[in-house]
Amino acid sequence: MSLLQREREAILNNAYVDHFDFAEVESFIKSASKDLFISHRFKKQDKILVQPRGGFPTYDKVFKLYDEFKNAGVDILPLTIDSNTRLNDYASAQKMLRLSEENDVDMLNGYPLINHGYRTTRKMMVHFNTPVSLRHGTPDARLLVEIALASGIFEIEGGPITYLLPYSKNFPLDKAFIYWKYVEKVCAKYSELNEPINRESFGPLSATLQPPAIVIVIQIIEMLLSLEEGVKSFSVSFSQSGSFLQDIVTANVIKKLSRKYADQLGYSDAMINLVYHQWMGAFPRNKEHSESLITTSTVIAGLVGADKIITKTRDEAFGIPTKESNASAVSKVQYTLGILRALPQITDEEEEENLSREVDEILEAVFNDSADTLWRKVFNAIKKGHIEIPFSPHIINNNKVITVRDKKGNIRIYDKGDLPLSEKSFRFEREKLSVGDDKNALVDQIIKDIGIML
Amino acid sequence: MKVVTGVVGNDVHVVANRLIDISLNQRGFEVFNLGVNTYLEEFIDAVVETDADVVLISSLNGEAEGWSRDLPVLKSKYSLKDVIFVIGGNLAVGEVKEEVIIPKFKSYGFDLVFHQVDLNEGLDRLESFAKERL
Repeated sequence: MSLLQREREAILNNAYVDHFDFAEVESFIKSASKDLFISHRFKKQDKILVQPRGGFPTYDKVFKLYDEFKNAGVDILPLTIDSNTRLNDYASAQKMLRLSEENDVDMLNGYPLINHGYRTTRKMMVHFNTPVSLRHGTPDARLLVEIALASGIFEIEGGPITYLLPYSKNFPLDKAFIYWKYVEKVCAKYSELNEPINRESFGPLSATLQPPAIVIVIQIIEMLLSLEEGVKSFSVSFSQSGSFLQDIVTANVIKKLSRKYADQLGYSDAMINLVYHQWMGAFPRNKEHSESLITTSTVIAGLVGADKIITKTRDEAFGIPTKESNASAVSKVQYTLGILRALPQITDEEEEENLSREVDEILEAVFNDSADTLWRKVFNAIKKGHIEIPFSPHIINNNKVITVRDKKGNIRIYDKGDLPLSEKSFRFEREKLSVGDDKNALVDQIIKDIGIML
Repeated sequence: MKVVTGVVGNDVHVVANRLIDISLNQRGFEVFNLGVNTYLEEFIDAVVETDADVVLISSLNGEAEGWSRDLPVLKSKYSLKDVIFVIGGNLAVGEVKEEVIIPKFKSYGFDLVFHQVDLNEGLDRLESFAKERL
């Protein structure tokens, strides 16, 4: 028995899993409908796929949510997992699920997949026969991903950096790398049976003034960590920055460089897709304004040539949206995408050149670390502050980089901390900034820049 | 001047925490930032360890009062009478009057209490309070 298989059996031998039948799961995936695979859907390249967010505690409520989404013309269904499950606390999830079922109130902020189990969940996936994307935020997602794949969920979001640094204060980063390696291996293994399982990284990070260079570096790293285990279909992503120009520049550079690095390292057979997240920062409380924001980001998704867009709702400022409001956002986004015709190709050579150079400089420093494997190089890079995520709560994060918007609204690096950027690259950033050395003014500016959509 | 800061309780408001960190650094304080999700005992441990002059606790999700009740006990356990205790942020959920909330937190042993006060204004007041003390 292989080492991986031995580990899988240990993981699946869990009190909350009702006998995991490896052979049955394998034959299910082998003969599963192609329509369940987003990687298959991506190949058609006929439109930007629309995916909302959403998940409820009970089976019935998710079923009704999916019905509502399908009526609104959804392309990809989401399955958002509750936060107990994300922290591997299946006992609390179980208790809250029972309470939700008995009292018809939502005691969980998502679907407790482990407690529902794959036999039950698969019925829903097969019924809707539409690709489903697993949305969670789990550093140790080994069991969760096993159950998701066995259920017919063939897109897995996340990664060791993007699902850890923005969410956790002290879950060990080295463990997250090892646990995600397992996820990649299982995804790769199943990818040989039918269409590929798609992995997606979470580019929004902490969704607060993220510099594009860091977003792209982390997207490329998580892509490489996935491809090196044998994954064949991967989506890089980023979220609306608040600057039209920067979104376009980011998209052009991430497309070019993710392909470049994948090819360079020998993964030219892998398919790479681009996902665009509608605004992930603070939303306006005025619902007409939030609708306008959603439409604007839909237009940008069109301009940047995204393969998939992940939607928000007019109720974003008020918490988890109702299924009706969620579906209405899908319908609106689909309509907007449908009328975006003959979009121009926009480029900005100077901006793209600088951003590409920044990404190359940081990645070069990562690759030059003396560790023997990629994940260890990345781990060291994060420890050294060669990579850091502004506004991460994690103790390993360097917390030195300061970003702020320039006069036009582009996010620029004010203090580069320990990022290995050249003088030339950093000067390009600083020259755009008019914020001087008045300390109080800087913080006031940052606060204003964070709330740019309010 | 040394400052220990962090967000008390099960509160993950990292943006505010980072902005406080940046502001304190820019004003020349030596900052020991414990980050989000910090228990009251951890603040006290850090003060003892770093010999800090100021403890700046922030709270945004309404948990402040529950956590602050233990402060008098902890303060008397260690000799921390020269340390300036500051708390700021959103100190209560819903609408509360300043006349009620400020004396309440002062009775827990805080020297300065800022409920929904602008960050720079709060830090200006901290600086002048510290100057008077010296």
